[in-house]
Amino acid sequence: MALFSVSKTAFLLAFLSLRTYQSEVLSEPLPWAPESLKVSVNTTSQCLHLQWTVHNLAHHQEFRMVFQIEISRIKTSNVIWVENYTTTVKWNQVLHWSWESKLPLECAKHFIRMRSAVDAAKTPGPRVWSSWSSWEEADVQNSLGQDPLFVFPKDKLVEEGSNVTICYVSKSHQNNISCYLEGVRMQGEQLDPNVSVFNLNHVAFIRETGTNIYCKPGQGDGIKGTVLFVSKVLQEPKDFSCETQDLMTLNCTWDPGSDTGLLKQLSQSYTLFESFSGKKILCKHKSWCLWQVAPESQDMYNFTLTAENYLRKRSVHLLFHLTHRVHPMAPFNVLFKNVNATSATMTWKVHAIGKYYTLLCQVELYGEGKVTQHNVSVKVDGVHLFSGLEPDTEYLAQVRCANGNHFWKWSEWTHQNFTTVEAAPSEAPDVWRNVKIVQGRCVVTLFWKPLSKLQAHGKILFYNIVIEYLDRTSGSEVLSIPAPASGTELPLNQCSSQIRITASNSVGTSPASVLVVSREPGNEEVEEERVKGTEDGFPLSWNPQPRHVTGYLVEWCEQPRDPPCDLQWKNLGPNVTSTVVSSDAFRPGVRYNFRIYGISTERVPCLLARKTGYSQELAPSDNPQVVMTNLTSHSFTLSWKNYSTESQPSFIQGYHVYLKSKAGRCHSGSEKAVLSDDAVCCKYKIDNPEQKTFVVENLQPESFYEFLVTPYTSVGEGPHDAFAKVTTPDEYSPTLIRILLPTVFCILLIMITCYLKSQWMKEKCYPDIPDPYKSSVLSLIKSKENPHLTIMNIKDCVPDSIEVLNKQEGTRKSFTETESTKPTYLYLLPTEKRYSSPGPCICFENFTYNQAASDSASCGHVPAPPKAPPSQLGLLTSPENLLKALEKNYMNSLGEIPAGETSLNYVSQLASPMSGDMSNLPKNPPEPALCSEYKMQMAIPLGLASPPSSGSSSLSSITLLDEGERYH
Amino acid sequence: MRAQLMWRTLPSLVLGLLFLSTPVMGSCLDKDQELLRQLQKQADIMQRTSMLLHPYIQSQGLDKDGLKEHCRERPGTFPSKEALQRLSRQELLRALDTMLDHVLHRLMALQRDIPKAQDLETVNRAKQNIRGFKNNIHCMAQLLPGSSERTEPAPIGPGTSPSPTPTPDTFQRRLEGCRFLHGYHRFMHSVGQVFREWAESPSRSRRHSPRRGLRKGARRVPLSRGNKRLLPRGQLPR
Repeated sequence: MALFSVSKTAFLLAFLSLRTYQSEVLSEPLPWAPESLKVSVNTTSQCLHLQWTVHNLAHHQEFRMVFQIEISRIKTSNVIWVENYTTTVKWNQVLHWSWESKLPLECAKHFIRMRSAVDAAKTPGPRVWSSWSSWEEADVQNSLGQDPLFVFPKDKLVEEGSNVTICYVSKSHQNNISCYLEGVRMQGEQLDPNVSVFNLNHVAFIRETGTNIYCKPGQGDGIKGTVLFVSKVLQEPKDFSCETQDLMTLNCTWDPGSDTGLLKQLSQSYTLFESFSGKKILCKHKSWCLWQVAPESQDMYNFTLTAENYLRKRSVHLLFHLTHRVHPMAPFNVLFKNVNATSATMTWKVHAIGKYYTLLCQVELYGEGKVTQHNVSVKVDGVHLFSGLEPDTEYLAQVRCANGNHFWKWSEWTHQNFTTVEAAPSEAPDVWRNVKIVQGRCVVTLFWKPLSKLQAHGKILFYNIVIEYLDRTSGSEVLSIPAPASGTELPLNQCSSQIRITASNSVGTSPASVLVVSREPGNEEVEEERVKGTEDGFPLSWNPQPRHVTGYLVEWCEQPRDPPCDLQWKNLGPNVTSTVVSSDAFRPGVRYNFRIYGISTERVPCLLARKTGYSQELAPSDNPQVVMTNLTSHSFTLSWKNYSTESQPSFIQGYHVYLKSKAGRCHSGSEKAVLSDDAVCCKYKIDNPEQKTFVVENLQPESFYEFLVTPYTSVGEGPHDAFAKVTTPDEYSPTLIRILLPTVFCILLIMITCYLKSQWMKEKCYPDIPDPYKSSVLSLIKSKENPHLTIMNIKDCVPDSIEVLNKQEGTRKSFTETESTKPTYLYLLPTEKRYSSPGPCICFENFTYNQAASDSASCGHVPAPPKAPPSQLGLLTSPENLLKALEKNYMNSLGEIPAGETSLNYVSQLASPMSGDMSNLPKNPPEPALCSEYKMQMAIPLGLASPPSSGSSSLSSITLLDEGERYH
Repeated sequence: MRAQLMWRTLPSLVLGLLFLSTPVMGSCLDKDQELLRQLQKQADIMQRTSMLLHPYIQSQGLDKDGLKEHCRERPGTFPSKEALQRLSRQELLRALDTMLDHVLHRLMALQRDIPKAQDLETVNRAKQNIRGFKNNIHCMAQLLPGSSERTEPAPIGPGTSPSPTPTPDTFQRRLEGCRFLHGYHRFMHSVGQVFREWAESPSRSRRHSPRRGLRKGARRVPLSRGNKRLLPRGQLPR
């Protein structure tokens, strides 16, 4: 412990003595202080360059010294930079040091001083500095000139994104100076009364010609400015590579990257330096450079590519062996020899690369969608045989080469086309037929598919058809159909025949396709089956044939709706019993029919199956055209017999009959259905697609109904578009019609019968009275030319009374008893006692009759009441007489009394024109029982007859007629 | 943009067609009336700022408010219209030739600050126009009396030194170039007006009238008659 205390004390004493010595040394000036300090300013680079010396060094003495440099701005006390510069100092050496100012040096004065010390990094203890040199001033403002305003720095080149300080110096003491960057005013800080500073951070590239920065006073035209050239950052060259094509010249290339965007004189340059040879060249281009190879003197190359501009330098290196960078030139003089249908020989030449180099060439052949590749070693000339080619096919051959010893890069391809020659077709044409009987003759329509390019081996010129009749009596026929026909129609002399079809090109003929045609249509009774199409097509299957077949064939029409239907077929092998038929022509909603044939060994097709289906079923787009019949008050019948279920876009499974009514009730056999328009109706379902009639029953009379018949399928039913409208008739109207019509008919029949009978009775009982004027007697009289002889005219007769004889019958006795016991007289001539008693009677005496007016021989006296119409006569008061009075209307104007009541005996036959024609008589003749008796009229000589007394009788007669007419 | 390009290209095309009849290949048109009309048209086209000034302003970024106002001709760079009017015709043609030489020299200097090929093409077209114009001046001078006598360049008043010393500062050089081009277009406008005055008032400078200056044996059509048809009396272009 005591020993430890003693040694500690000794160490402290030694340390204190050392510190004392050092203090004494520092108090003396250092003998190697910096002297002759000079400061210069480079305004282009904005650098202060310092230059000084160190004296008192021995001739061979070298010291490693540290120079501490202080830089002040504006005034010496404002130190802005302190840096220790360490270097080895020799005897009589001038030392240099530079400092780049962020602030343009023109903007402010700078002061610099320094001191030195021996670099005692290996010596412990503090560094002993010399005394400071005096302050050196760097003032550029004195040399600016007399302009009132300056903007600095001038034409400074910076990289994009860097920070830049701008200042202006005003000598006119104007304070209202404003500065702008590309038209945008900048805000700065005042460094002194005449200087303002603007700090621009992260300056951006604007244009190649630089960014304009300018300042101007508030008054006057003293605009000043500067241009700041902002460069994009220089990029390192990429993909630097060198290669040779002939071992004579190296072509070095690189990607210079994005442009720095500067003026050409400020843009970067590229230099290529090779370290082994020490050569350096300045590249003329930005992305490539040529280097001349010294022949056989250098194999290894070490290149350094340097991109450099004012701001940055970037380099990349590349070391390689010359022979490993051989990029041969493209082969040339490519030719083809001995080109035939299946082979060709290709030759080419290559550019030689030295004497001992072998090239590896790659040959490619493009043709028929295939590529084949071969490698060939080549010294000077290359040869390659292409075999297994297709006839009449154009091929593209190309070749490229590379250094076979050290692969670097393939050369460019050299292309050449050639075409093989034609050959005979290799395959028989695929043929099918359609047989039909036209007027007892077989007509075969042949179809064939064009041979593929691989089968045709050239351009097919025509198709040969040989028809051989199987009975060997009709011989054979040969036809030639020019290409590009794909079918023909052949009327055959007889059906049983064998047809051979071949295809020919300019070289030869193909094998033959053989078809056998027979009259028998084959198994046409095969039931049609349904097949469901899928996205892949129609899957078809059939039962294998027990007897031997050479294959199967499926036939269909791709355009079944448009004749010709575009018959298609597909040949299948003998062991195949299913296939999928697909075609781009298949459309949804179209029914396709497939027929599957088995081809026998005799080449006779036999129908095995029939399939039908849709590639995709669609809902029916149309509803049937419905005809309504048998409309009754309770039912009607709907019929759509013209609706074809075959031509619909899906298989029709049945029909729905919709019935709308106001009642809304659905009877048995129907169900309620809600339509898309929320209408409720009754739906009848018909499951049989072939049932195309339907009776709608249980309807209400005189009711309004709407109905619709729509087909339904597995994918939906037809549109619910237009409902037909119907109103049921009244329930009793048909019954009434059934009763009324026969009744009316019967009545009419009876009336006609009665009329005919009355006519018959009239003919039999009271035929027409002959017209005296038409009597033959007149002609006799005329022949005697006696003008005095004539028929008595009524005007010649002066009637004085008419006697009406009433014949009493049956029930009329009472009347007779009371009134008709005496004859009734009509007083036609005025008498004095006319109103009181029956007056003198006017008698007609007809001398033309050999019989007096009836047996009574007296004139009828008809009582004529002065004013009362005949209807007021007591004779007509009874209902029975009313009808007779009506019948009187049908009597002629002679004032006949109905025969049922009176029997009128004509006393005088008036020769009135009105009575002359019996056709004018009423239709209703008197009853036979009441008929008057007519006697045969005969003309009598004039002497036997009294002459007519006066003309007034005629007047009376007319008066009577008038009265009679009035009663009608 | 297309319209602007067309606006620039069309005058050049017209000028090219005009030059076809000018003595580019060494032979001058001997019809002074025709020649004067061509000079007028060339001056009209060369005075358009779209031919040179506007492309230059755009390429140098001088099309900013507060900056483009300073792109004005400095007095004295080019002679004023009045100075041109005071010159005799021989003197005017000589002065024009001299001025356009300076312009060509200055345009070549400006080309160094133009990076884009499109703008360079614009300057090249302008230089071709100036050379064609100078050729026509040469031919016109031959039609004037005393053309064979080589005289000193005419004094054209203040601003006879059109080529101020370019400053090394890019900004100032840019601004001076802009001002120079502005003055050039103004100058060509004045030249065009003076040429029109030649045509309209041949008697004003009777001493140097082209009519009087016709060489012996040459058929001439009086300028006044021909140009009366082109420009009605009293109607001066602006």
